[in-house]
Amino acid sequence: MNAPTGKIDAFLSIENLTVEYPLSRKAKVHAVTDFTAHVRRGETLGLVGESGCGKSSAARAVMQLPRPTRGSVRLDGKELTGLKGRELQAARRRFQMIFQDPIASLNPRQTIRDIVAAPLEIAGIGTRAEHAARVAEMLDLVGINPDQAMERRPHEFSGGQCQRISIARALILKPELLVCDEAVSALDVSVQAQVLNLLERLKGEFGLTMLFISHDLAVVKHVSDRVAVMYLGKLCELAPAETIYRHPVHPYTRTLLAAVPEPDPEALRDRVELIPGELPSPVNPPSGCPFRTRCPYATERCAAEVPEIREIAPGHTIACHHPLLN
Amino acid sequence: MGETILEVTNQRTAFATGRGLLQAVDGVSFTLERGKILGVVGESGSGKSVLSRSIMRLLPGTAVTGPGSRVVLNGQDLMQMSEGELRRLRGPQMAIVFQDPMTALNPVLTIGKQISEVLTFHLKMGKRDARRKAVELLRAVGLPQPDVRVDQYPHQLSGGMRQRVAIAIAIACEPDLLIADEPTTALDVTVQAEILDLLQRMVRERNMAMVLITHDMGVVAGRCDEVAVMYAGRIVEKAPVTELFRNTAMPYTAALFASIPRVTDPPHRKLDAIEGRPPDLINPPPGCPFAPRCRFAEEACRRTVPELEGTATHQWACIKPLNREVAA
Repeated sequence: MNAPTGKIDAFLSIENLTVEYPLSRKAKVHAVTDFTAHVRRGETLGLVGESGCGKSSAARAVMQLPRPTRGSVRLDGKELTGLKGRELQAARRRFQMIFQDPIASLNPRQTIRDIVAAPLEIAGIGTRAEHAARVAEMLDLVGINPDQAMERRPHEFSGGQCQRISIARALILKPELLVCDEAVSALDVSVQAQVLNLLERLKGEFGLTMLFISHDLAVVKHVSDRVAVMYLGKLCELAPAETIYRHPVHPYTRTLLAAVPEPDPEALRDRVELIPGELPSPVNPPSGCPFRTRCPYATERCAAEVPEIREIAPGHTIACHHPLLN
Repeated sequence: MGETILEVTNQRTAFATGRGLLQAVDGVSFTLERGKILGVVGESGSGKSVLSRSIMRLLPGTAVTGPGSRVVLNGQDLMQMSEGELRRLRGPQMAIVFQDPMTALNPVLTIGKQISEVLTFHLKMGKRDARRKAVELLRAVGLPQPDVRVDQYPHQLSGGMRQRVAIAIAIACEPDLLIADEPTTALDVTVQAEILDLLQRMVRERNMAMVLITHDMGVVAGRCDEVAVMYAGRIVEKAPVTELFRNTAMPYTAALFASIPRVTDPPHRKLDAIEGRPPDLINPPPGCPFAPRCRFAEEACRRTVPELEGTATHQWACIKPLNREVAA
């Protein structure tokens, strides 16, 4: 079952991660199934796929929010899935998360000072005066003027500014792993560029390892060293960013990339025609390969046999019976 | 050349707020011919959605339309029309597809009923004919199993399917003008591509005119004949799509292009972000609205608001346009 992922010296190891949500006594949503990926220290792994592919569920399972149904998540060799209560809280200082909706993820009734200081408060680090100094330092780092911002509340800030505040909060404990779940998706392009540049800069300054989830393939390519593509809860393809964008091998990856509207009127559009239809339900995923119902290359084997994850080139793994190699 | 369908002249739309008048659309003019797609791009707050509602005359009561504003559709001045007259126009002559396919449909009516309603009201079709036509329309927009889906409710359909239904309703009476306001923003990329293909095909096949409103430069690049870039309620640049991308004149347009992450870029390239934020439309800065964020701005830019100028096909609102030494 274990994937030959070219055993790298992983800081974050996700192995056979499975997330299921019960619907009734019999039925359940198979949100993530046997997802395996390893992330080196200081590296950014991008996680892409369309809505319902399980990328957010996978990210939350890494955060133990909630803990996965099965599988293992190890951070720097320490298993996170078994941790409880105080132990988990202590471990959480090392991994933090930024969410999609910049405004909803900040408590509207708290001041920016209290919001950004909350992790220190929870971890029981420092005095109130020390907190204020740290908060000011963090706000400054993300490009928010602390003198003007500290005593104000989230509604007084724009989406981009709120996302900067979320970043300040996520980084105040100096975590080692930062999980970004659609962190720039709600922002306008000009503001998105500012926040992406900020994340890239802070990644260097804090020596962060990142798990970056987005539906936007251009954004993911921009920040990632390696990229994993998911479909219906399963890994399709994982490779270095340049490789996967230049030579996608899984039919789904190719479809996804061809659908990206390129800001260039003369760009050639080599579309892979999908079999018309809808994303199958994660309650009753198809047998064999999950993509087979829409894949133009699917054969009987794809229905009968779950494609094993295999390595086709160093660091390039796929789960497909009919990869597009040429 | 072609037959002019839509003529918008000096459209100004403002909203009364607690802090004062917010000028959402500030003097927009353009014309659109049959068979053409005009892309309107801009960031949030640039006025593109208010513009679309101003054309459809679907503004809330708090909206204030400027005295010189004119919208002429097929030679009829919409400003002079009563609500009843407008209602008879919406559907057969102009229609709109909204961003959110979840809220644009009525949750307690079957989709067949929602399409038939348009047909019975405008085309005076009988129930049975309307239903037959509804199935036909659902097939035309690529909804799988149209004869089953016609009796289903919106919650039984996915987002992409709902958007197809919204398009079926919009084209039911074969309008001359279709306004698509961020029609694919809520959808996944593969579905987005299919919906945009569909809209493009409808415009060509039915010889309609379309205004495609989007924040995504990638969407306009592949789908439009002409593009208008909006900033702070104004059109700041307008040109045929290739000309706009290849021969950009307005610094804002150029800055917007530079800030887009592209799949063709190598990883970790630093983006040329535009610093600052769009202006406050209640108290706009003097002069060019982009001047406070523009790296080429000089004193003169902060004094007067630049008018759209340029050639017959390519216009910009900038006194220091890029790459224009020769043209000037």
